[in-house]
Parts: sequence; C-alpha cells; structure tokens
Amino acid sequence: MIQGLFNGMFSRREVLKSASCGFGFLALADLLSRASASDSGGNMLLAKAPHFTPRAKRVIFMFMGGAPSHVDTFDYKPQLAVDDGKEGGGKGKGRKLKRSPFKFTQHGQSGLWFPETLPNLAEHADELCLLNGMHTDLPAHGNATLMMHTGNFRFVRPSMGAWTLYGLGTDNTELPGFITLNGQGGGAQNYASAFLPAAYQGTPIQGTERNKSAVANIGNPKLSENLQRKQLDLLASLNRERLEKDKVNPGLEGVIESYELAFKMEGALPQIMDISGETEATQKAYGIGIKGTANFGRQCLLARRFAEAGVRFIEVGIGGWDQHRDLKAKLTTNCHSIDKPIAALLSDLKERGMLQDTLIVWGGEFGRTPGAQNSDGRDHNSTGFSMWMAGGGVKGGLRYGATDEHGVAAVEKRMHINDLHATMLYLLGLDHEKLTYQYSGRAIRLTDLGGVVAKEIVA
Amino acid sequence: MTSFRRGCLLLLAGLVLPALILPGFALTATADAAPSKPAEKHPSKEEGEYFEKRIRPILVKYCYECHAGDPKKAKSHFVLDTRDGLRKGGQSGAVIVPGNPEESPLIEAIRYEGLEMPPKEKLSDDLIDELVKWIEMGAPDPRVGKAANAKHKIDLNEARKFWAFQRPKAAHAPEVQDTTWPRSDIDRFIQAAREKEKLQPVADADRVPLIRRVTFDLTGLPPAPEEVDAFVNDNSANAFADVVDRLLASPRFGERWGRHWLDVVRYGESTGKERNIPYRYAWRYRNYVIDAFNEDKPYDRFVVEQLAGDLLQSRNAADRDRLLVATGLLAIGTKGVNTKEAEQFKYDVIDDQIDVTSRAFLGMTVACARCHDHKFDPIPTSDYYALAGIFHSTETFSGVKAGKKIASDKALLALDAKSKPAKENAKLAEAHAERQQEIAKIEAQIAELRQSQKNARKQARKKPNKGKTRPQVQPVGDMQNQKQTRDEIKKLEDRLEQLESAATPIGDFAMGVHEGSPGNSPVLNRGELKDKGPEVSRGVMSVIKTPAGNVNPKHSGRLELAHWIAAKDNPLTARVMVNRVWQHLFGQGLVASTDNFGALGDEPSHPELLDYLAVQFMNDDKWSVKKLIRSIVLSRTYQLSSEHQVDDHERDPANKYLWRMERRRLDAEEIRDALLAASGELDVARPEGSPVLELANAQLKGGKGLGEVRKASNIRSVYLPVVRGNVPEMLQVFDAADPSLIIGKRDVTTVPTQALYLLNSPFVMKQAEQLARRVLEPKGLAPEARIDTAYRLALGRLPSDRERSEITQYLNEYRKSLEEAGTKGNVSLAAWASFCQTLFASGEFRYVY
Repeated sequence: MIQGLFNGMFSRREVLKSASCGFGFLALADLLSRASASDSGGNMLLAKAPHFTPRAKRVIFMFMGGAPSHVDTFDYKPQLAVDDGKEGGGKGKGRKLKRSPFKFTQHGQSGLWFPETLPNLAEHADELCLLNGMHTDLPAHGNATLMMHTGNFRFVRPSMGAWTLYGLGTDNTELPGFITLNGQGGGAQNYASAFLPAAYQGTPIQGTERNKSAVANIGNPKLSENLQRKQLDLLASLNRERLEKDKVNPGLEGVIESYELAFKMEGALPQIMDISGETEATQKAYGIGIKGTANFGRQCLLARRFAEAGVRFIEVGIGGWDQHRDLKAKLTTNCHSIDKPIAALLSDLKERGMLQDTLIVWGGEFGRTPGAQNSDGRDHNSTGFSMWMAGGGVKGGLRYGATDEHGVAAVEKRMHINDLHATMLYLLGLDHEKLTYQYSGRAIRLTDLGGVVAKEIVA
Repeated sequence: MTSFRRGCLLLLAGLVLPALILPGFALTATADAAPSKPAEKHPSKEEGEYFEKRIRPILVKYCYECHAGDPKKAKSHFVLDTRDGLRKGGQSGAVIVPGNPEESPLIEAIRYEGLEMPPKEKLSDDLIDELVKWIEMGAPDPRVGKAANAKHKIDLNEARKFWAFQRPKAAHAPEVQDTTWPRSDIDRFIQAAREKEKLQPVADADRVPLIRRVTFDLTGLPPAPEEVDAFVNDNSANAFADVVDRLLASPRFGERWGRHWLDVVRYGESTGKERNIPYRYAWRYRNYVIDAFNEDKPYDRFVVEQLAGDLLQSRNAADRDRLLVATGLLAIGTKGVNTKEAEQFKYDVIDDQIDVTSRAFLGMTVACARCHDHKFDPIPTSDYYALAGIFHSTETFSGVKAGKKIASDKALLALDAKSKPAKENAKLAEAHAERQQEIAKIEAQIAELRQSQKNARKQARKKPNKGKTRPQVQPVGDMQNQKQTRDEIKKLEDRLEQLESAATPIGDFAMGVHEGSPGNSPVLNRGELKDKGPEVSRGVMSVIKTPAGNVNPKHSGRLELAHWIAAKDNPLTARVMVNRVWQHLFGQGLVASTDNFGALGDEPSHPELLDYLAVQFMNDDKWSVKKLIRSIVLSRTYQLSSEHQVDDHERDPANKYLWRMERRRLDAEEIRDALLAASGELDVARPEGSPVLELANAQLKGGKGLGEVRKASNIRSVYLPVVRGNVPEMLQVFDAADPSLIIGKRDVTTVPTQALYLLNSPFVMKQAEQLARRVLEPKGLAPEARIDTAYRLALGRLPSDRERSEITQYLNEYRKSLEEAGTKGNVSLAAWASFCQTLFASGEFRYVY
C-alpha cells in the first residue's frame, strides 16, 4: 500500500508530511504490541497536550557563558558602593568589597534599576521579571553549566530543551523541535537527550555563520535537490525492504526517520537561516552588520524566526562573561553585545503578538563576588546571582528574590536551578513532578527531588 | 566550599529516596518493623508514597543538616531522619502531634511563630502546607529501623555478603531439557535460563551474516568478499573456528579491542577542561594497549603493568620503556591545569587515578567516597584516603603542572631506547635549537635584571643608614627605574613563555608515573584540603581482603594495589573484565551496568554463567582475553540468527535471555573504517606517533592551530588524534566515547546529523566515488555483476533480485537526468557513485545482524 502511495499520486514530501508516523507503520501490528517506545523519532515529536493551560508555548533561553556579574547588571546594590573597600564580599577572608563601576538609574513605571551599559534593554524594564535570588550548587563553570542545562552536574541527564520537547512535542516537523545556536562550548551534554529518546536531542546550529554552513553538511556540494531526492527515494526503498525482512527493528526505523527529518531540514533550514528577506531597519535594530552586536543580533533574529516557525525550545548564547580582571572594560563590551539585540527581539516579538506566549529566560551559570579579585575583577559566586525572564506569562517590572545587602548570597525568595526549571515547565503548562521518565529503575525528572514553582512571578 | 556539600546531599537524596520506593527494596516491609507504639497502624501504600514523594525530600533538604545522625550530637538532640527520632522529638519533647498540626510545635516552628526553623530561611508556603497536610493525615511515616541517610557505620562483614564481594564459584553447567541444542557449557547456562523462561532460541545464523558479525566484532572491519566466499564454501567441521582463529591472530584484533579498553580508561590526547593543553605523547600508551591485546598479554599482567609497570623487572631497555609507557593509564586523565595550588591539583589528579583504577578494573565507584562514606557501597572515606596515600606517594608525569599555561617535556618521563626521529623532526629540531639559544639568552638577561633589582633594593635600604630611619618615600628616579626593570622582566618572561610553548622536537618521552616519597594521606573532611582529619595508612578497599593488599611502608603501595587487583582472590577483577567482553559481543553485559558492580548496579542476568566465565578466565585460560573471546564466539548462542520471533519477543522484549542474537549498530570507528574498507582506501599501517605531536605545548584556543590534527587521512580510526573537545566530526556524530569520561558502554543515537553526514559530507562522497571506480574497473562485466560487487563490498552480501532490478533502473534514470541536464564529466561514474553512497547511507550498512 505504501508502495502504491509512492509510485502514485503523492509526492514523497507530501506523504511524509501527512503520514508523519513514518514508514514504521508497515510494522504497525508490532508497533502496537510493543509496550515501550522505540528509539526512533517520528510521531514522538507530534505536539502533545500539556498538563494544564500553558502561559507560554515556546522558550528562548539566552545563555551567558562565563557567569555575568549580577551586582554590575541586574542586581543593583547601593550598599556595596557605601562599603566599597571594606573587607568582605565572599570567597574567604581578605577580599575587599568592590563597588560597581557603573552608574545605575531607574526605568519604566516599575522603576527597575539598570546599569548605564544596558540603555536599550532598560527601555523594556516593565517587561522584565528580575530573578535576584538565584543560587546554584557549584562555582565551577563546567559543572554549573551542566546544572543550568540539565538540572544535574553529576549524572548524565537530559537537557531542559529535551525535557520540554518530550513533554510538548513540536508544531513543526520540518525543523528540529529543539535548536541550540549557542556554539560557545559547554559540550554536547548540555543539549543532549541522555536517556530520553534521541528524537528529543537538541540540534546545534552555528548561528553566527552564513546560511549553508549553519548546520554541518546541510547541503550537498554536488547533487541538485532533484537528484538527491532520487537518491533518498532509493535509500528509503532499500531501507523499507530491509525493515520488512527484519519485521521489528526500532533502530532501522530510527534511521528511516532520521533521513526524513534530515531531508526536511535541508529544505526548511536554509530558508529560515537566510535573513536577507528581513528589512534593513529590522536588521539594524538587531544590531546586525555592526561590529560588536552582529553575532548576538543575528542569533536573536534567528531565534525569532525559529520561534515563528514553531520551534519549541531555542537556545542562543554568548560567552566571555568570566571577568576575573578587567571587569569594567570587558563587561561594557559584553553588555553592549547583547543590549540592542535583546531589546530588538523583545520589541519584535511584542509587535508580532508573540511575546505573550514566548518565554524568554536570560542568565549565566552563576554570578560573581561583590568582593574584588585582582583589584579589577570578580570571582565565581554560586551562592547568589541574577537571571531574568520576560514574556510567556511572567509578571513584568518585577524584582523577585534578593541577595544580601552586598550581593554575596541569595537570602530572600531564593531560587535554586531546580526551582527555575520547575517554574519554566509550569509556564509551559507542565507539572515538573509529573514530567518523568522511567530510567534505571526509577522515574526521573528534570528537577531531581527539588523544584518549587515561583507562582508569585506568574502573571 | 559548602556548596559542594550541598551537591552531595542532593545527590544522596536523589538516589536514596526513589530506591526506597522500589518494590525490590524491603525497607517498607513490615517484617523488620519495630513500631514504637503498637497501637499505631502501619501506613498504607498511598500514605507511604506520600511521605516518600512529598515529605522526606523536605526533611532531607532543609532539616538533615542539623537534625540527622546520632541524636546525641544533633542540634537539640532532635533527629528526624528516623521515624523514631521524629516521633520522639528533642530535648523539649515531642514536636508532632499526629492528626493535629495546630498543636504540633514543628508546624509552629516552620511558620516562624515561635522557634524559627529552618533558621536560614523560611520554607515556602507550599512546603509548609505539605507538612501540615501530612500531620493532618496522622503523620504516616513508613520508615523502619535506622536511618539510611544519616552517618552510619559501614558493617564490612555484612557487606561482604553482597554477591559481587564473594569470590566467583566454579559451577558446573546446569542440566537442560533440550540436550541437543547446546554446543558448549556457555550454551547450557543460557539454554537452562531460556527454558525456565519458556523461550525458544531462533535458528542459527546464516554463514554470510555470521562472518560479517564475527569479523566486525573481532576486528572492527567488514570481511573481504573472498573471506566470505571461503567461509561459505568451507565444509569442514572447523570452518567457523578457523575463521575465528584467523581473526584473533590478525593485528586488526588489537586495534578493535584496544579501542574498547581506551573507552574505559578515558583515553585522550589533551588535558581537556578549561585550559586544554595537548598531551603530545599519550599515543604511546594507546599503542601499548593495542599491542597488549594483540599479543594477548594475560589480563592480570595487563592490570599490573598499567598500575605499576615502573616497579616491575624488565628484560632490557625496550622492555623497560614499554613498562613505563603502560603506566600512562594514570597520567592521561583530564586535568584542571588552571588550579593554581599544587597540592589541590595533586589531589584532583589522585581523584582521577582512584576513579579510573576502581571503575575500570573493579567496577566500583570509589571516588564517591572522597567527601563522605560511600552511600551505597561499603567504601568508607578512610578507604579512599588509603588509596589516595598510594597515589600521593607516586609522581605523575603528564607534561603539565598546576597553574602552568604551557606543557614541558621536562614534566614527562624520558625513555631509554632511542626511537627513529620522524621526517618532520629535522625541521622541528632546527627551530628548537634556535629557540634554545634565544631562551638561554633571555634567561641570562632576566637573571641579570633580577640581580640589579636586588642590588637596587639593597642600595635603597643602605642609604638611610646614617639617620637610622627608613625614608617613607623612595626617590622618584629610583622608582621609575624599578618600574622600568619590572616591565622589562615581564616582557622577557612573556617572550620566554612564547618560545617555550612552541612544539618541541619529537623525543623519547612518555606519560606515566614513578615512585615519589612514600607517605600517608590524611582524610580530607568533605574533600577539603584545608580541613585535614586523621592520617590513614596506605592500603586498598577494606571490604576485599586478599593477602596482596598489605602495603610495605617503604613503598608507595602501587605495586601492592596492582597485585591486589590482579589477584585471583579479588572477586571483582575477573568478573568485571569477563562482563566487558560479553557486552561487546552481545550488546549487553551479563551485568548490564558494566562500570558499576555495586549496590546501585544491576544484578547479573546469569550469575552462574558469569562466575563460570570468570573462573575459567582466571584458571584454565590463564587470563587470556583471546581464549575468553574464542570460547564465547564459538558458542551456539553467539551464532544465533538475529531474526524476530513473536512469542519470544512478547515474553522477553529486551532479549535478556538471548533467544536470538541482538543486532548491533556499528561503532563510529567501525562505520568510518568500513567506508574506507569498501572503497579500498583504508590504510591499515600504524601511523608513526600522532598528529598531536606537531602541536605547540600551549593551550588550545577552540579549534585554532589544529590543522595537523584535523587533516583528512585514511588510517584506521583508532589512530585518529583524540584531542579533548575536538574529537573528529565523523566519530562524534556516531557516538564515539567522550574522551573525558570512563565509558564502559557507548550511547547509540540515531539523529538527523548522522543522516546529513552520510548524505552530504565530502568524506563519504569521496569514498562512494572510490567504491564506484572500484566496481567499474573490471572490463566486460554486466551492470548487474557490478551491482553485486558493490553489495558485497559494502554490505557483505548479494542483492536480492528485486534490489538488483530497482538499482539498475535507478542507475539508468539517474544517468538520464544528468544527461538531460547537460552535465559534463563522467555521467556514468556519478550515477554509480550516487548508488554506492546509498549503500553507505542504508540502515543495513551500519548494523551487524
């Protein structure tokens, strides 16, 4: 019957679109009798109903690798300026408190404080929900980055993007449901699916480069699309024959699905990655074409395009926030690189009516010490730091949680990474305690045993 | 670093709690229960679950820090890590009144209405509500006996009863009903278990898939078409055994099985971590491992050489070098070179050494005991530091040092035997000689400047001698001079660093260890260097007693450690290795958790067989890995077909009882090597050294300067450079082992990036074109015969008639479209290349059946 479909009236693409359960249904009887899910993709990615009404449909996670200094960005600490030079500031004795070298002013109706380095973002003060009471387990980059992405630094666990996809599926089967444009290291584990089926794994895309090289091997250097399709049809046919012979072979089904998605990606991705259709004004607003903002600007614009296309979880990122020294100059550069792009993205999403159901989450793996290091730098600090959210059902213009007077440790409405993840899932309509996967004999979840939803920030 | 502690607490919570709800755990059983008040009924299943899911996590997270363990030591003598403790309350009496939250002091305290608990921060309202609700329910608490989480004394005698700590017992193969089926004892064990589960084995595999299977399994390569023919046409009774013996004798065997070992010992050619500095000589260890498997070095000897080769008698200089290289195992781990403090760095290296030693050889996660007694296995912290003392008494030569930005040949072991210098070496040597001159000059300059600095300081101190008071301010001129000197020194030092970080000529260096000054290590409380506890005598894991484990106080103890592991009395060593071999041949170990034989690991699916194999391995086969493999692959079980069978599949979908052979996705290395083998381009010669030798002794910045390392080549994949963070794309895409981790079992993923790689990468397209040329080369063949050749080279079999006609049609159409499009060049070759690539991309290519 499938054979007939292929030779007859439908194009391959059409069949794939309509029968997104894939060729696997040749072995339908067996599929039905199988209790556990196979390791293939296909229908696993179809959109699923959330546990309850979601506030957000998708996530754009902005990861600031290296750990931005919170007291110089989103956690304004007047007392730190007063006590400048006094002993203290975390990380043992002998450290001296160091005031922020930046001027802070209040913005919007909410009167949130912003440093002078983020003038464009400050205009969106009333959209932002600052999370000033963040804390995490370890002040080491690698571990904390894993913690941020997977909720666990000791064991290999799925990325939050993979969990999201597992919980909700995706609206666009021509694109990966979880894309990471954040090419700045950290390792594949940060976007991997671990024990979840491979279909939920993040697809890394080089957001900073031009179209074709964006995904490794996305285009064929020699074959035309027409010829490649011929080749793929032969391939599909050979694989199908093999599957018939094998009767049940989830691995082979996975292979078949992977070609389907690869081929669809070849068609869809370059189009999305090609931003030449965006107006000059838009590109300029994002800071594209301007040194210093081009990289992150392009990522933000791509994030919007992916969001529009129905990608469920998009990670963008920029590194270099690890200012052990030379804080003033380097942090200025860092802030500059994200200020315009994020502001443009917020405006853009708002104009398109998408901000309300797109959850934006910004942050690094931990924060930095209010105490000085190398006189002009700050050390790692996992006891207190800041992140922020916007859109997707969170209250704007809110400062939630707090660190102590100098910004060393979170003391009020503390939010652990497990809590952050629980809250993100909640906004997506998922109960973090119900979103579990049976592995090594127990039901595992993103939030381990922790996770308290910060309901106060929900609009 | 209290946060570190917290991490462990979470870890502990994460593991203990769910384990307790597992049906297999008997902690909720009433038999052991000794309720303090008989009147109170045992909680129902739902109530128990409510406690485990909602209440216990809160207690663990927010209360245990002060209220767990020994009541006498806990705050207010109140502990809540046991049911009794929580019911009894503390110094001021009971804290809960079951059924009545408003009367319960605990609720008052967490509401901050009297006492304020937890003192650091009030619980969220949600959590308070949970506790209120729980007390309303009557505070059901399913916990029995002593606290599992609180500090507990490990009872070694009790622990020794665990299956993995008992010596493997030589067992006779069991009786089976179907006596005609088994061909060997292995088969009898498997068949007996199958019969118990009412499973029927499928038919034996056909010869064509069988030789493909065994050739990949033993050598990581596909069989040549002639080899397939020879086997198919060999009617002798020993036909299969002859194939197996040929494969075991092939040098390709060590390349395949050596790679398995390299996965387990986290082989990599750079430090990894934040400051990634190349290990230019790690490849010597890689070659040692491959050679060891090829020469079938007895496994017990293999163990001892890797841990203590430097302490063994050697026959000659070359032998001595080999033994030194073997200890590379202890030096090639990842290193956090930007740890400035040398002692901290050393303890981190020790941690890696303990981790690899215990997991690779023993399947034990000893490294868990760095900060606290192991939570699940009988490994007290004192065991960890007994081992740490051994490695602390050892000097590690990895080329890098704490806080240093560049590697140095001086921090490596120097070998005796002179190896032939490589061709490029002349160039490197010349440049090196020039640099050495400049380095000498600069060092002299720096010394001179330092001296003048010193003199100036002396001068400054002398000047005011007359008045006996030191001037508050130095003369401005002096200060300027001094700043100038400082700047100059800094400049020279920078230049020095630059010169020293350049690639040095390839020399007779190796990574490895030798004896340091023997001494014990103190326990580091919670793993903190600053918090030293009592010193522990050097020694081995105390749960496993063998005579070999007693450390001579004059030595580091490494040799004793090695002998203790390699002893037949050690219940783990042979089992762990036998299990690894089984897993590579069947896709799943008899113990599924190959790197964990502890309480959290899996229990063996066929315990008697595991023991039988272990005993056979140690005694009859004298630790010969080749004999072990031979006996397994000659079993009928290994030679089963991989076909599907509905009834068996329903009963045992995971194929735990081996009613058929499990299909296996080829490893990354196998896929690449098979592509090259099919195209005829594979270069099986072992390359000299590694491209990493050409890298500078400096930190790698992303992918910069990796030209040499990334250069395409047709050598076997096992010889491709493994720079951490820069594993070759092809290997990474197909789930090669992460070189920073100990990987006993690789992941198998199926993702679009693999599809894209096979469809579009220049490497695959090139191999496809080469295969096409190979197929088109013989004169006067019909296209069908050429299709047959391609199938045999790529998939090891002939195509079906349907496939043949489908492909013939494809080739014609493809050629026609190219011609219609006016394509220049060899249209026929392009069509054949496209077809050949399809074979490479097919699911069948990457599976053995």
